[in-house]
Amino acid sequence: MRRLRSPLGVAAVVSLAFLLFAVVLGPVIWADDAVRTDTLALTQGASAAHPMGTDGLGRDVLARVMVAARPTIGLALLATGVAVAGGLLLGGLPAVLGRRAGRLVNGFIGLVVAFPGLLIALVLAVVLGTGGRSAALAIGLASVPAFARLTQTLAASVAGRDFVAAARVLGVGRVRMLVRHILPNIGEPLIVQATLGAGGALLAFAALSFLGLGVQAPDYDWGLLLNEGLNRVYLNPAAALAPGVAVVLAGLAFNVLGEFAAQVFGGRAAVTRPSGRSARPVPGDALTVTDLRVSYGDAAAVKGVSFTVAPGERVGLVGESGSGKSLTALAVSGLVEPPGVVSGSITAGETAMVFQDPMTSLNPALRVGTQLAEVARTHGRLARRAAWERAVTRLDDVHIAAAARVAAQYPHELSGGMRQRAMIAMGLMGGPRVIIADEPTTALDVTVQKQILDLLREVSSTTGAAILLISHDLAVVAQLCSRVLVMYAGVIVEDLTVERLLAGPAHPYTRALLASVPDMAADRSLPLATIPGRMPSPADPAAGCPFAPRCERADERCRNELPALEAGVRCWHPVDRPVASDAMRAGESGRDDLRVNDPRDNDPRVNGLRGNEVGS
Amino acid sequence: MTALEFHDVRVRLGRGRHAAEVVRGVDLEVPSGTVAGLVGESGCGKSTLARAAVGLVPLASGRITPDRRRAVQLVFQDPYSSLDPRMSIGAAITEALPRSGRTAGEVARLLGLVGLEREHATRLPRHLSGGQRQRVALARALAARPEVVIADEITSSLDVSVQGMVLNLVREIQRELGLTLLFISHNLAVVRYVSDRVAVMSQGRVVEQGPVDAVMSDPQDPYTRTLLESIPRLRQ
Repeated sequence: MRRLRSPLGVAAVVSLAFLLFAVVLGPVIWADDAVRTDTLALTQGASAAHPMGTDGLGRDVLARVMVAARPTIGLALLATGVAVAGGLLLGGLPAVLGRRAGRLVNGFIGLVVAFPGLLIALVLAVVLGTGGRSAALAIGLASVPAFARLTQTLAASVAGRDFVAAARVLGVGRVRMLVRHILPNIGEPLIVQATLGAGGALLAFAALSFLGLGVQAPDYDWGLLLNEGLNRVYLNPAAALAPGVAVVLAGLAFNVLGEFAAQVFGGRAAVTRPSGRSARPVPGDALTVTDLRVSYGDAAAVKGVSFTVAPGERVGLVGESGSGKSLTALAVSGLVEPPGVVSGSITAGETAMVFQDPMTSLNPALRVGTQLAEVARTHGRLARRAAWERAVTRLDDVHIAAAARVAAQYPHELSGGMRQRAMIAMGLMGGPRVIIADEPTTALDVTVQKQILDLLREVSSTTGAAILLISHDLAVVAQLCSRVLVMYAGVIVEDLTVERLLAGPAHPYTRALLASVPDMAADRSLPLATIPGRMPSPADPAAGCPFAPRCERADERCRNELPALEAGVRCWHPVDRPVASDAMRAGESGRDDLRVNDPRDNDPRVNGLRGNEVGS
Repeated sequence: MTALEFHDVRVRLGRGRHAAEVVRGVDLEVPSGTVAGLVGESGCGKSTLARAAVGLVPLASGRITPDRRRAVQLVFQDPYSSLDPRMSIGAAITEALPRSGRTAGEVARLLGLVGLEREHATRLPRHLSGGQRQRVALARALAARPEVVIADEITSSLDVSVQGMVLNLVREIQRELGLTLLFISHNLAVVRYVSDRVAVMSQGRVVEQGPVDAVMSDPQDPYTRTLLESIPRLRQ
């Protein structure tokens, strides 16, 4: 409903009302005026009695235009109906026919799509004979190929999805597959296309009638009225203008409706830009994050995260999907896109990002060396030659054999592991103080994963860069990092060393997470430990500990009061508290002591502004 | 129940110059009522082998039994794309049932089997979590009354806590129904937990197979050894 109040929504409603009014009431209200001949007022200009003048027989032009709305739009819709029916039939055939016949149909569609639609329409209109219906048929048939091509392309993209494969395995027949599985999933773009197509058909129809190939006198539509009006355009310009304006308005109305349908179905929401700017990282040593919050409207995805990563330290940030770990990483790199709002303060040294999928984070059109050199040319202002040489050195540093040859290759020529190495080398070009690696090995095989983790450890110890490793995999984090931050529902619930993690964490969630992962030593006779329930959604502002509903240690206090991150654990009932020295270190890194005691802290809007001041 | 057998199976993908033999002569037997794990890295041909077993990919040569339609069912990796977004859970399961047994009671029984409620039948996939969707996918596969089920990476797109639930469920159902199950995964720890026997695939071939404990504790093939050494371990 809210979409109706957007400018496009209002325009769509007004256009629809205009069309309906003309089609339904036009002939009722103006039918008599349209045929009444006034021999005293032949071919007159605009006057009070005839706002758009009169035609050669003294009939009121405005009334005729309004009456002509029904046949014009009706015939345009008929043409669209023919196009849609024919297009669905032809475009759906390849999905129903076998491979060979399907290819033949595709070839045929490709062939007819190559001819201009209007040309086909003209030829067909002549062949089918003059008259409104045959012209509608001609325009409809001429639009069949384009609609068929769209149907076939969309159907092919849906046919490649797993649920179609699953249905095939179940023995679902081809026709049922098309009707039950494919068509419902491509309906929306087809409806949008059909609505836009109706506008096109209307214009094409007006053109045919104008040329005398469409509606024949004494019947009339806008095209024919335009033709009559143009003959006398010097005597009464309004008589040509009125049907012309009607054609343009109706065409626009269909287009607006189509656009609106596209927005409603396609989920193309109008982007609402948040007021104020988001907090941005400011330069500093390694990484300090204080009271970081990321929210989308009312939903707070990250709710006050504070931590410090010392130079050369390797810290893992773990959590399940929805915990806010990836958003934290994005915020730290200043990459949260609107409408996300970031507040809090982030100080970070020169930062390098390593993403999960190096295929999408490297530009496929540029050579690997060119992309690396670009960093040195913009950051270090090196000359082209020197930048290229440094790129080759960095590729060599990440143990890419034949670095000079690889630098001249394109990303798609490299394996996944090599691309990830290249991505790390690219990060090293700027001499980073922090490397943020977001699931860097999730897309890689285990043997390659180990190599990449080893490389990250080596890079950190040789360059002194800190590493923040974001991962869902506790084992991966344990292999590379010395310290682990566990996130749950937007907050850090535990901050602990890897030794502590392996020996037995204090937070019930960390313990449950650890117990639910099968590893190579798991007892196969026992079922795996599971965590009943679900993580609360960011939009659901529950007071108290977010894990309380799923926690067997939870009591009344847990449900009402969110515990602070104390001694590295955010819990009212931690499982045997960590030892003192450990606790002090973890508490320090939590930086709770650094938080300014300011009442505005609790107001996200004020925080947004404050973040802005800090950021700029 | 029936055993799942692959006899010298070869699969070629692509046409003409771009054709590549992805599965290069696989002999593998999953004895009736047991679970065999199939591990290997991406591109080793394990998923292609699974798709060949259910008839989604044609064989270049060799034989797979059972080769009757619907006798072998496949559960896919991604529960977000393996369910028709426009079809209710109940309709999806009904479609999979044999024509004579399409009753609401049977749908409810299958939902109960995978730990879902009768009320879930009216929902659309988008109303369910990833773990719940994977349960539905499992129920749909079971609805076809298969003799063999192939699970292709069914937990790799799930969160760890959800993964545990789905693995427990798979083990329970397999034991309860005495299913023959081929469990494919790149995760050795998961395969070890679920399987009785395990086969290791590399570059289109099975390089090693045997009882799960024997292969994991005393790997014979150098590739299996590399694979085992590369696993990040939590508990030493």
